[in-house]
Amino acid sequence: MSGRRTGQVLLMLAGLIAWAVQFTVIYGVTSTLCGRGWADATLFGFGIVPATIVSATLITFAATAVAVIWSIKSHRQNAKRPAATTDGFMSHVAILINGLSLVVILWHGISALILPACA
Amino acid sequence: MNAPERPGSFGEQEPELPNPLPRPEGEFEALKKAWKAPRGISFITAVNNTYVGLWYVGTAFLFFILAGILALIMRAQLAAPEGDLVSHDLYNQLFTMHGTVMMFLFAVPAVEAASVYLLPNMQAARDLPFPRLSAYAFWAYFVGGLVFFGTIFFGLSPNGGWFMYPPLTGTKYSPAENADWWLLGIGFIEISAIAGAIEIIVGVMKTRAVGMSLDKLPVYSWAMLVFAVMIVIGFPAIILGTLLLEMERAFDWPFFIAERGGDPLLWQHLFWFFGHPEVYIIFLPATGMVSMIVPTMAQTSLVGYRLIVLALIATGFLSFGLWVHHMFATGLPKMSLSFFSAASTAVAVPSGIQVFAWIATIASGRMKLTTPSLFIIGFLFIFTLGGLTGVMVAMAPFDWQAHDSYFVVAHLHYVLIGGMVFPLFAAFYYWAPVASKHALSERLGRWVFGLMFLGMNVTFLPMHITGLIGMPRRVYTYPVEMGWDALNLVSTIGAFMIAAGVAVFLFDLARNFRFTLEDNAGNVWNASTLEWLPNGTYNTRSIPSVVSRDPLWDQSNLSKDVEDGRYYLPGTATGGREALVTSPFDARPQYILQVPGPGWQPVLAAVFTAAFFLLLTVKFVFTSVICGVLAVGCVIWWLWETDPGPVRPPADIGGGIVVPVYVTGPMNHSWWAMIVLMVVSGMVFTCLIFSYLFLWLVNPGAWPPQGVRIPDWIWPSLSALLYCASAVLIAVASRQLRGADRRNPRSVPILIGVALLLVSGAAAVDLWTQWGTNLSPSAHAYGAAVYAIVSLQIFFVLTTFIMGIYTIARWLAGRLDSVRRTTFDNTMLFWYYTVGQGLTALLVVHGFPRLTGGI
Ligand code: HEM
Repeated sequence: MSGRRTGQVLLMLAGLIAWAVQFTVIYGVTSTLCGRGWADATLFGFGIVPATIVSATLITFAATAVAVIWSIKSHRQNAKRPAATTDGFMSHVAILINGLSLVVILWHGISALILPACA
Repeated sequence: MNAPERPGSFGEQEPELPNPLPRPEGEFEALKKAWKAPRGISFITAVNNTYVGLWYVGTAFLFFILAGILALIMRAQLAAPEGDLVSHDLYNQLFTMHGTVMMFLFAVPAVEAASVYLLPNMQAARDLPFPRLSAYAFWAYFVGGLVFFGTIFFGLSPNGGWFMYPPLTGTKYSPAENADWWLLGIGFIEISAIAGAIEIIVGVMKTRAVGMSLDKLPVYSWAMLVFAVMIVIGFPAIILGTLLLEMERAFDWPFFIAERGGDPLLWQHLFWFFGHPEVYIIFLPATGMVSMIVPTMAQTSLVGYRLIVLALIATGFLSFGLWVHHMFATGLPKMSLSFFSAASTAVAVPSGIQVFAWIATIASGRMKLTTPSLFIIGFLFIFTLGGLTGVMVAMAPFDWQAHDSYFVVAHLHYVLIGGMVFPLFAAFYYWAPVASKHALSERLGRWVFGLMFLGMNVTFLPMHITGLIGMPRRVYTYPVEMGWDALNLVSTIGAFMIAAGVAVFLFDLARNFRFTLEDNAGNVWNASTLEWLPNGTYNTRSIPSVVSRDPLWDQSNLSKDVEDGRYYLPGTATGGREALVTSPFDARPQYILQVPGPGWQPVLAAVFTAAFFLLLTVKFVFTSVICGVLAVGCVIWWLWETDPGPVRPPADIGGGIVVPVYVTGPMNHSWWAMIVLMVVSGMVFTCLIFSYLFLWLVNPGAWPPQGVRIPDWIWPSLSALLYCASAVLIAVASRQLRGADRRNPRSVPILIGVALLLVSGAAAVDLWTQWGTNLSPSAHAYGAAVYAIVSLQIFFVLTTFIMGIYTIARWLAGRLDSVRRTTFDNTMLFWYYTVGQGLTALLVVHGFPRLTGGI
């Protein structure tokens, strides 16, 4: 698999990978803190749990937004080269997947924030 | 809808046919001869995807019937109050076996089996890239599955419910061997599922029709690709879980025993990390089938191809997350419930997309009401209803006890039968003409559908009410005064209606299904995809080049040209079986893969592997070990004939394309398989590290527990050094083995030999270090976790060892040189993986307790 192709695959899956990262971080931190009864701990006046959820969500959301912009750009370029059907297909699917991931990341972030962490 | 795409990657508008007529004399005969199936008793050594695929489907269907019979017995028992057909204990075994067999021996194998048959045909590949591996997977499943099922006749079946929660399944509450049968039997069958998944991934990525670029891949191939990746990610969790529970039962290592620092919740984590995606693992291939059948029945292209691809990939990813989400938002005890309800609610968006795409396709064409169409309509109806009850289960304000009622049984059967069994029957009716002289009967098909559809609803619709008025699941009988009798009787009648439907189907099969390839009923539905090309054991005479997703509709005369040998590789270049390997994105021809033919090795290897596991269950340790050794021996015997090297110069496959008959490195198909295998291994290891961390979490202040000393850092450092040194030697050997002229430098076996000593030394040092601190694996979960990590690593080092010796043997036999070096590459990749895993293990086992300082 050439470097260009690897890049395309990564771009195609970027949003879902970002979501997986968000998930692992939120889940890992929350379950550790809840498991040990440290859920109320604070850092600089913020609860660690909500702070983790918010920052993980914002960072992965931003990364996915960048991925969306990138895939739109590369799709425009591919559209100019009619011979590149595989590329056009991949960039189009990349837009769809990353777009959906934006919603999913937000959805998970908000529900994690609203639901009681250690219930 | 997208306009049909024309070939971009090949730059032609109407492709020139690559090979002229007339074809040389004897070309076709040579092809047929190479692919001829063995006769007589050796017939079972056949490895063709068509033969193995058909046996595989047949066996899976057999398990559907067997598990169905168990269901009928249960329903007969429950038909009237205070029934005494079966005892309490037998009933427990019945529902456990029914659930287990349906989920593990029917649902997953059935969809995998169908793809062994269909994928190569749909992609116009001559075979799957590793036919012997699929044969092995099949035989392992066949033998292991039948013996596992046989336990029901001896009262030895597992009885702990299909998800086998400890502590109920620990030695304390289940001292008998029933639970071991589940653990070893199912653990083993999962391995066979993984072998199949590796095959599918490499098959979809690398063996396709020329020009079948990603955007022209049949939706079914996409679905199977996602399915296989999900197996590779999800199944290691259950394999590890069964391994840990079996180690606890066999050696008293307390992973799940709370008094000694274990936690039964760990099992539930591992189980559901696999179990939640399992529903989609079953469901996605079924949707892939539907996406192939609907366009044919509507006689128009599938609408929303890209959206469907999006839906498949997104479902694959997201289904893994739902598990955790439910776990930490609602707590674990409710998992088993949210499992099935989430299966229908959370998949809503991607499933919704697919449903809309099918409806749009139906609307844009004209749907013929054939038997496959009926089953698809039934599927949409039942599955949607299951989704709705799923939402109800999730929202209904009754408590957990009420949840664990017949309402849940009803709901899960709506989802599973609607989502998987109906599409599978649609597929049977749809694809039968590919493999049979006659199509199945449309008239009987309507009866099958009618009986199954009505029976399904008669059985399970009342169960919603039975559940709501309080009947719990998994009870073997109920008293008269509960008022559950009428509804139960109706359910039982419904169950026998389903059985009648299946019986009619069997009758139809017996009357009309006659297996044949050359002489099949053919494209009776006027479908558009390549499995409907004229075929034989070699699949298609020549390998077509396609310009759209509906080649049979868009390329006039395709069938005839393919059959005349006017496309690529119309004969055999090497005189043996071969497949054309294409590039993963654009499907350009890359090389000719020399495919191994029939042989006893995979069959024997599978039988011995099964014997190893099964004898272990009944504690015949010595015989079991002998079988294990024999199994490894058979695998080596089988591998010995592979990696043939460039037996001839590059061959012209037509159209001026000349490809080599052997390549090594990242383009090679077994390189890809090795990478997938490494992902599987990495997942097992990750789950183990997760278990370690989980046990740390539940043991505050006891990690390590009082009185346990962490070894001096000098020893792990030594071990790490040895690991790294061995990897360096392998890298040096790899450099020595480079070059276009066929050299086999003497230093290579010596380097491998020394590296073997180093890598074994590394593992030995670590084991010895732990042993030296008097750490006991059975005193506390800490010791159990540490020894589990050490043992897994030793297993990998042992495997590396065997591979290393094997590689040296190849060199000595003159079967390894700088050109013919796939064997070496495989060993090298595995070696690097083992070293990486070993280093990580050292870091965790020795670093983590230091880092946390015992908190
Ligand atoms: C074809 C007709 C079928 C009938 C009549 C049927 C009937 C039953 C019955 C009576 C039970 C036991 C309920 C209890 O006592 O709690 C059950 C449980 C179950 N069934 Fe089925 N079933 C059928 C098909 C299937 C299929 C196709 C699948 C999966 C692909 C399946 C998966 C399960 C599972 C997972 C359980 C739960 C087992 C447990 O509680 O451990 N069933 N079914």
